[in-house]
Amino acid sequence: MRKAEIICALVLLAVAGIGMAEAIRLGSGWGPSGPRAGFFPIWLSAILGLCGLSILVKAMRMNPLAEAARKPFVSKPLLKHVLAVFLPMAAAVVLFEVIGFYLAAALYLGVFMRWMGRHSWPAVLAASLLFPAATFLILERWFLIPLPKGMVGNYLPY
Amino acid sequence: MQGFGDLLYGFNIALSPYNLFIAAFGVLLGVIIGVIPGLGGTSGVAILLPLTFTMPTTSAIVFLSSIYWGALYGGAITSILFNIPGEPWSVALLFDGYPMAREGKAGQALALAFIPGFFAALVSIVLFTFFAPLLAGLALKFGPAETFAVLTLAFSTFTGLGGGSPAKTIASACVGFLLASVGLDIVTGRPRLTFGSITILSGFSFITASIGLFGIGEILLAAEETLEFKGIQGKIGVKDMWVTTKTMMRNPGTFITGTILGFWIGVMPGTGATPASFMSYGIAKQYSKHPEKFGTGAPQGIIASQTAAQAAGIGALLPLVTLGIPGSPTAAVILGGLYIWGLQPGPTLFIEQRDFVWGLIASMYIGNVMGVLFCLAMVPVFTAILKTPYAILTPLIILLSSIGAYAVNNTTFDVWLLLMYGVIGYVFKKLKYPLAPLVVALVLGDMTEEALRQSLILSGGSLAIFFTRPIAAGFMILTIFLFLLPAIRPLAQRVGRTFRAEEAEKAGEG
Repeated sequence: MRKAEIICALVLLAVAGIGMAEAIRLGSGWGPSGPRAGFFPIWLSAILGLCGLSILVKAMRMNPLAEAARKPFVSKPLLKHVLAVFLPMAAAVVLFEVIGFYLAAALYLGVFMRWMGRHSWPAVLAASLLFPAATFLILERWFLIPLPKGMVGNYLPY
Repeated sequence: MQGFGDLLYGFNIALSPYNLFIAAFGVLLGVIIGVIPGLGGTSGVAILLPLTFTMPTTSAIVFLSSIYWGALYGGAITSILFNIPGEPWSVALLFDGYPMAREGKAGQALALAFIPGFFAALVSIVLFTFFAPLLAGLALKFGPAETFAVLTLAFSTFTGLGGGSPAKTIASACVGFLLASVGLDIVTGRPRLTFGSITILSGFSFITASIGLFGIGEILLAAEETLEFKGIQGKIGVKDMWVTTKTMMRNPGTFITGTILGFWIGVMPGTGATPASFMSYGIAKQYSKHPEKFGTGAPQGIIASQTAAQAAGIGALLPLVTLGIPGSPTAAVILGGLYIWGLQPGPTLFIEQRDFVWGLIASMYIGNVMGVLFCLAMVPVFTAILKTPYAILTPLIILLSSIGAYAVNNTTFDVWLLLMYGVIGYVFKKLKYPLAPLVVALVLGDMTEEALRQSLILSGGSLAIFFTRPIAAGFMILTIFLFLLPAIRPLAQRVGRTFRAEEAEKAGEG
């Protein structure tokens, strides 16, 4: 946990640094029409920087041998569980771009159900057909929200 | 009785068949969202927000607020029957709700949450109906200095009442503000923090942020523990309702304290139903004659936490329609909806959008009646949702979240952002950074910056403007007090402890 706290504080400091640099580039003082574009961001970055420093100092002063500090951010077996959810999700997002939402949703849902849940093939097929069909009807027909159809969109019959 | 006429006018709008249908649909979806753990009211409302884009504005607000009411009721079912909070605001409920259900009194435990919760909501709506026009009248006199002062007050409540680490709370808000300032500068029109990218020139959407931080983050967190829903079967009989009503009447103190405290905390910007339910539970325990019974199935514990949560949910919309400031994270998402529908949140709504405001207020009455009826009648139906296996529920929530994020700007870029926010939400939750300040800052960022810069233009750059105008000064002093509260509190507790020790000594002497 101590390491994670320190890394997170450093990231916050980096964000504050980027904000600060950008605010200085834009000008943070008083311009012809009042405060310049960088006025608000520079103060935010300064406050964020101070908070980041305070979190960093607190984490550094934590006893590295104490139980709270040594407790890992996430243990290896648990990380596996988290990645088992996160990676298929990321893959699905890539697929949205390529084959469109509906096909990707069917594929993602089916693979996840079969692989994680060990559901029977009929259940897998039913879910991965019904969900895209239902979202299509509700979104495109009822609420008029078109979803991405990717490269195959041109070949679909509507 | 101008207000009463307005309310009747509102009922006229809210009772139109379409709005009534929308309200019922919203409440039903809300209860389902409430029942499903890992899908909270905030991300639920955000996911469903795109559905409102094609609705008239009044129906849109009725829909979103009805989801909120439904979720406030629905979270209770999962807590009491499954010992897993369906919503963050029903965590305090499971302390006593689950033990009571395990004793075989599941129906009674559920009724104890719903019936007092319903009456708490009702009292809060009456308070709302009364206070909203008054507060809006006051807010109409606000200039930029007052607006900025109220906004800083909103953020100070996070540090003062949020209970987390102050540095982490402020850092979270600053990240939200910085994200909000990405894009074209509101005054000069210059691109800021875009680093030459055209995709982010239009800025970051709060919808994607709230779905990702709350929804996806929660799912990643839930993945660490394999969720298994082993619950108690529960059905509410007429006898349960009767017993519960009697219990409520016998504990008027718990009910009234929960309601008033909940409403007040709800009105305080930024906090909302979750801290309200914890505080109310704590107070009920502290002042109970049998505090040892709390945690073993005390009816007062259920009443205290649920009444406060419901009252806070209603209260959270009060500053939203009167000042344009959300009282809770879920209200922040609804506020974002107002901007998308092309409305200017704040006191002018009462003048320019009478249909909208009074339709909303009337629909609060209707939505809560529907919510309590649905829950009392259909608990078994809703618990059946929890039998949906994890391997189906998780991808479904993720797919619905992606649709919600995509529909914001019709770009897949937002779905990528969703993934990123999900990771941030997961890390922040593990390291105990509060997420609500980030989302609220993202929604209110432009408004805050505009108010600040306009005030400074008015005053020629002097910060004194915030302290020389009486209303602004009042808010500013309260703000400073709340920011200092985390520092003062340990000090005050120490003083209090020695004081109490002296008293005990005196009592011993006497």
